[in-house]
Amino acid sequence: MLNKMIRPVKEIKETQNRYVAIESFGVKLKIFSDRKEILDEIEKRIAEILPAGFYKKIPARRAVHSFSVRRNRAYKYVLFKGKQKIEFGNEREIFLKYLDWQLRLTIAEFAVERVFLHAGVVGWKGKAIIIPAKSFQGKTTLVKELTKLGAEYYSDEYAVMDSDGFVHPFPKMLSIRGVTDKYRQTDTAVESFGGVKGIEPLPVGMILLTEFAEGAEWQPQFLSEGFGIMEMLSHTIPIRYNPEFSFKVLNKTVNRAIIVKTKRGEAKDFAGKVLSFFEDNAL
Amino acid sequence: MKSSQIPVARKEGLVVQETAEEVLVYDLASNKAHCLNQTAAFVWKSCNGHNSISQITKLFENEVGSAVNEDLIWLAIDQLNEKNLLDAELALNFAGRSRREVIKKIGLATVVALPIVASLTAPTSALASTSCACINPGACLTQTTCPSTVNCNGSGICAP
Repeated sequence: MLNKMIRPVKEIKETQNRYVAIESFGVKLKIFSDRKEILDEIEKRIAEILPAGFYKKIPARRAVHSFSVRRNRAYKYVLFKGKQKIEFGNEREIFLKYLDWQLRLTIAEFAVERVFLHAGVVGWKGKAIIIPAKSFQGKTTLVKELTKLGAEYYSDEYAVMDSDGFVHPFPKMLSIRGVTDKYRQTDTAVESFGGVKGIEPLPVGMILLTEFAEGAEWQPQFLSEGFGIMEMLSHTIPIRYNPEFSFKVLNKTVNRAIIVKTKRGEAKDFAGKVLSFFEDNAL
Repeated sequence: MKSSQIPVARKEGLVVQETAEEVLVYDLASNKAHCLNQTAAFVWKSCNGHNSISQITKLFENEVGSAVNEDLIWLAIDQLNEKNLLDAELALNFAGRSRREVIKKIGLATVVALPIVASLTAPTSALASTSCACINPGACLTQTTCPSTVNCNGSGICAP
C-alpha cells in the first residue's frame, strides 16, 4: 500500500522538469508543458518580457497560479489558465505572445503590496509622470520622446505603485510599433536611442490623461482627486481583485500629484510641452 | 409627508475612500465605482437613519451658509437611489415635475454645486490591460481602443 503512494524519485524529478516556475512581485506561478522545447522557449521569453532582476526561479511546488500548455490532436495549441481552457490555432508565435501577455497580467493583478496601472512612466527631476492609457493610444511613443529629452525611463506598460503611492521602475524593453509593420511590436532597449533607466522609487508629480487626436492642441484641464482616480480606475489592473488596497494606493498617489487631461498631437512636439508644464506646475 | 422619509446610507459591501473633495465608493457586489461630489457626499453621509430629508436640508444649509431648496437634497437622493447606495429606495418627491425641470429650477437658484454621482463599472484585469492580443475575432469585440474590434489579424492583433 505504502509503495503505491510513494512516487519514485526519478519520476518526481522528471515531473518537476516539465515546469518553469517563477516568482515576481510576490506572485508565484508555474507553466507546465510535456514538451521541453516549448518550456525552453517560454523560459527564454520570460527573460525578455520581465525586466532583469524582477523575477526569480522557484520550485514548482511553491507556485500558486498555474498555466498548462498542450497541443491537441489537431496539433493546435491549448492553454489552461487554472481551469480555464483557451484554444488556439497552430501558430506558435501567436500562442506564445498571448501567453506572454497572460503571464504579465497575472503578475500585475496579484502582485503583493503593489498596484499595477496600465500606463507609461518617466521620471523628471525626482518626480514621476504617469501616463495611463489603453493600447494603441501612443503610450510608448510618448514615453520614448520624453526619454529622448532626458526623462528617466520607468516603464512603457505598467506603473507599479507601492502603499505610499510611490512609483517603482518596471523597465522592460520598449514595445515599439511600426518597425516591422504598423501593428506589430518590436522590443527596443531604451539605451538604443540614448535613454536611461530610472532606479529609485519616485513620488508622483503628475498623472497625464491623454490620447492622440490628429491636429489636437495642448489644452490641459485639471481634474480633482476623486474624478482623477475615477479616470485611473479604468487602467487599474487589480481593482476587482483588491479594490480596497487599490483605492488606498491611488488616493496616496494623487495626494501629491496634479491630474491633467488633454488631447495631444504628435508625440515629438507634445513631449517638450509636457516637461515644461510639469516643471511649472508639479515641481 | 414624503419629506419625513428617513433615508439610510448603505454600508454593507462597500469600500469607501475619501479624497480632498470627493468620496469614492466601490460596490463589491456590482463592481461599480462611484464618485460623489461634495454635495452628494454630504447628503449620503447625512443619511444616518435619524435625519429626515427636511433635517438633511437644514444641515446642508448650515454647512454651506445659505438657504437651500429641498429639491437639491431630493436630487442627491434620486441619484443615490439609482446607484443603489441607500439601504432602501425612497419614493421621490419631485411633485410631478421631471428631473430635468427640477435641475433647471435649482440650477438657476442655487450657489452650491448640484449633487453629482459619477459611476463606472470597474474593468476586469484583462480589460484594464488591453493588449489588443487576440486568438479570434470575438476577442476583439471588447477591446474598443484597438485598431479593429472585428478582426483578429495574422499576427494575433485586433487590427486589419
